Amino acid sequence: MEYKLTDEGREYLAKGLPEKRLVESIDKDTGIKEAKSKVENFSIALSWAKKNGWVKLEKGMIKVLKRPGKIPEQDALEAVSKGKPVDSETLNTLLKRKLIAEDRETESKKAMEMVGKEVTNLTPELIKTGVWKDVKLKPYNVRAVGSRVYPGKRQPYNQFLDSVRAKLVSLGFKEMTGPHIETEFWNFDALYQAQNHPSRDWTQTYALKHPTHGDLPDKKIVDRVKATHENGWETGSTGWGYEWDPKKASNLMPRAHTTACSARRIAQGVDVPGKYFAISRCFRPDVIDATHGVEFNQAEGIVIDEGLTFRDMLGLLEQFAVEMAGAEKVKFYPDYYPFTEPSVQVSVKHPDLGWIEIAGAGIFRPELTEPLGLKQPVIAWGFGIDRLAMYKLGIVDIRELFSRNLQWLRNSRIIR
Amino acid sequence: MPTIEVNYEDLLCLIGKHVPLDELRDKAVLYAKGEVDEVDGAMLKLDIKDANRPDLWSAEGIAREIAGRYGKKGLPEYDVKKPSLVVNVDPKVMKVRPYTVCAVVRELKIDENVLSQIIQLQEKVAETFGKRRKEVAIGIYDYKKIRGPIKYTTVKPDGIKFVPLEFSEEMTPKEILDKHPKGKEYKHLLDGCREYPIFIDAAGEVLSMPPVINSDYTGKVTPETTDVFIECSGFDLGFNMSALNVLVSALADRGGVIEAVKVHYPKGHELNKTITTPDMKPKKFSINLKDVNKLLGIGLSADDAADLLEKSRYSAKASGNKIDVLYPSYRQDIMHWRDVAEDIIISYGYNEVKPSPPKLATIGGEDEMEVTSRKIAEVMTGLGAQEVLSYILTNKGNMLGKMGLDGGDAVEIENVVSANWSVFRTWILPELLEFLSRNKHVEYPQKVFEIGITILPDSVSETKTRDVRKLACAVSDTIIGYEEISSTLDALLRTLGVDYELRAKRHGSMINGRSAVIVSGGKEIGIMGEISPEVLNNWGIEKPVAAFEIDIEKIKF
Repeated sequence: MEYKLTDEGREYLAKGLPEKRLVESIDKDTGIKEAKSKVENFSIALSWAKKNGWVKLEKGMIKVLKRPGKIPEQDALEAVSKGKPVDSETLNTLLKRKLIAEDRETESKKAMEMVGKEVTNLTPELIKTGVWKDVKLKPYNVRAVGSRVYPGKRQPYNQFLDSVRAKLVSLGFKEMTGPHIETEFWNFDALYQAQNHPSRDWTQTYALKHPTHGDLPDKKIVDRVKATHENGWETGSTGWGYEWDPKKASNLMPRAHTTACSARRIAQGVDVPGKYFAISRCFRPDVIDATHGVEFNQAEGIVIDEGLTFRDMLGLLEQFAVEMAGAEKVKFYPDYYPFTEPSVQVSVKHPDLGWIEIAGAGIFRPELTEPLGLKQPVIAWGFGIDRLAMYKLGIVDIRELFSRNLQWLRNSRIIR
Repeated sequence: MPTIEVNYEDLLCLIGKHVPLDELRDKAVLYAKGEVDEVDGAMLKLDIKDANRPDLWSAEGIAREIAGRYGKKGLPEYDVKKPSLVVNVDPKVMKVRPYTVCAVVRELKIDENVLSQIIQLQEKVAETFGKRRKEVAIGIYDYKKIRGPIKYTTVKPDGIKFVPLEFSEEMTPKEILDKHPKGKEYKHLLDGCREYPIFIDAAGEVLSMPPVINSDYTGKVTPETTDVFIECSGFDLGFNMSALNVLVSALADRGGVIEAVKVHYPKGHELNKTITTPDMKPKKFSINLKDVNKLLGIGLSADDAADLLEKSRYSAKASGNKIDVLYPSYRQDIMHWRDVAEDIIISYGYNEVKPSPPKLATIGGEDEMEVTSRKIAEVMTGLGAQEVLSYILTNKGNMLGKMGLDGGDAVEIENVVSANWSVFRTWILPELLEFLSRNKHVEYPQKVFEIGITILPDSVSETKTRDVRKLACAVSDTIIGYEEISSTLDALLRTLGVDYELRAKRHGSMINGRSAVIVSGGKEIGIMGEISPEVLNNWGIEKPVAAFEIDIEKIKF
């Protein structure tokens, strides 16, 4: 953009800005009348001098606070007159004071020079003056790709977990959570896993060095769980028939499965009918390799309603297999979990992977639900989420779910 | 849970009918909660899923279960002959391994295949069901080399000498624990014992030192063996009885004749009576058809249910809605009518059930912190940062030492498998530095963030720990100004609508004079600064890094 001085601008370039003339021509304290007689354009001069903080009015007198050295607007007038660049803030002030105006003539003159020529860059001058019609815009090599840039992105595994979460919410499941460090009570005892059960062996789960023991819940719940282990309590079970140890139940451990969240949720009270899910980090003392991690995510859900049956469970799992894993066919196999009876393993025919095991499920044992205060049947399912994630992410080593490779992350595509 | 190997032809012989391999794989083996993992010539590798059914962990047990669907319905019957052998228990064993139960099985024809099945079953039962021999240790001996009565007693670590299995020289119990491979493997089970348990016969011949090793002379079963003596030892009588029944049933299925053994627990032992083992009497249970139908949802008649149970090797009599069942003595998993109901539906066939999804109107929803995290991640990616994801487990070296910090309370693992994963992280920034240290040859600038759980000790909470969700962000380039990180933090917090101020404060991981705490609502919510060159050296990072970390549970937006 080109600018030129207005008549007023030219006058001030020659004589100096009125506010400049004002402060230069009066004493420290001067009466308004006297001052008025000394400078032309007095009102303009006074208002800008005030605005700039050079003077103030007090009891009909003008008090000079400061006499300016360099005045940017004055310098700018000079610069514009010589066609030199001026900073945009000062330029705007001059435009507002109508001391300068856009110089369409020079602009179009400049643009006119381009007529008939081949130009690389389309400029504001060319667009405004219409000269773009008379120039040839040089073609670009449209097949050239610019330098590679990497957008900020979500981690692919997190993207996948979010999509699972969204799917579960759409199926009417509410998210439940629980602490990563659990008491054995919630990880095992409340799930009716006997205290000498092989899965409670220390080669199967982590134990803590510090801190070592947590608090047990409400005495009512503890007493019922104890009785259920020892003699079945009122659940109709024989129980395991051993002396239950509250001290062992208070041992702290990193959560080994998400079922701990389900047990806590049931004890807190659930809606009937109700659907809940959790996607959570669990820990097991494995030696890390391509198929084993010490940390992994599990997705688990529970469905509660009056009169739910084994048949309902298979229906739910079939729906799931289709929704979550794009299954073409579903098969059910007898399975074993210490806290469900009956138990089932779900295998699906996946369009790319063939037959794979994707979920385990069952109806919670009454020895689990009744001591926690729930009479209704509960269908519980657990989903092999890491395996599906590996397939979606196109990786074969489970450690890469937590990839340390920035280039791989930068190149990763959006996970649907 | 256990994986076992069986010979296909042998399995068919035991079932008593030809079952094509496809049918075995797709249908028959499911009745035994099994899955064919691998077919290797004549051998099948099976995964038996039920951790509470040791009776299924052998060719004999699987065949027994499957045979119910191929003509051999109802309860398998086992005859037990009157005892001729006595085992005298010395009260001294109370202090080390208080219980044993025993049996004799005669007239066996043991070939290599049968022998390998016996050994496999013995191992699986002792390892898995018996918790690595702690709860159940099993000894099987050539009965013809033994003279009764047998004594179950204890000896001092150097009180006796015998040749342990697969060795040729005599050793004391102490020498066995120190030198024999099995001794070293199971030594811990005798930790703190002043004397060790031992079975010894009337001729003074040592049978074994449970739960560690048999003697080479009596404790070795070969294809020449026809009669065997079996003992199980441990801490719980019932548990060991179950294990014994599993073994004896399997040998009887091979044509063995079971003979009971009198086990005499004298005064001074807490049991203080003589018991005759094995006890192979079937056990009783009653179920209500209404309960079963309410659970399964397939509308079975009482006769249907009874027939399905007969196929599962129960004996079942229906009268009205009540079904009285008898089930074999080797099953110790039936605690509730649900367990019987599961056998009914397995017998029926899971894939014969027509699935019907329940129609429940429920409203879904995410956890509030997940929503918060995602919103923050959206802003961070908009600011050009790449999200990374790390383990929550780490080690003190990474979390403190390399960060120029010493001390700091953290949640620690007791049974560490790898020193790399031994404590839970209390902050995320070390993970980001570890990440940057592995990507030194990747194009700069690098800007990464992670939102995740940290775990802090907390003496007042129920679990003595507290999960705290944090956000950490790090920027690295050849030249980096404080502004690179402060403008990112400012953009984030302004976008979230969080008022904050920065106050200069020293931090052990940051350059002196280039670190601040982030304060909002009167609380310190995080830290920001430029990582000190010393810390960069510790990580082997060669470019400057500026970073911040905030506790996202402390900010309100």
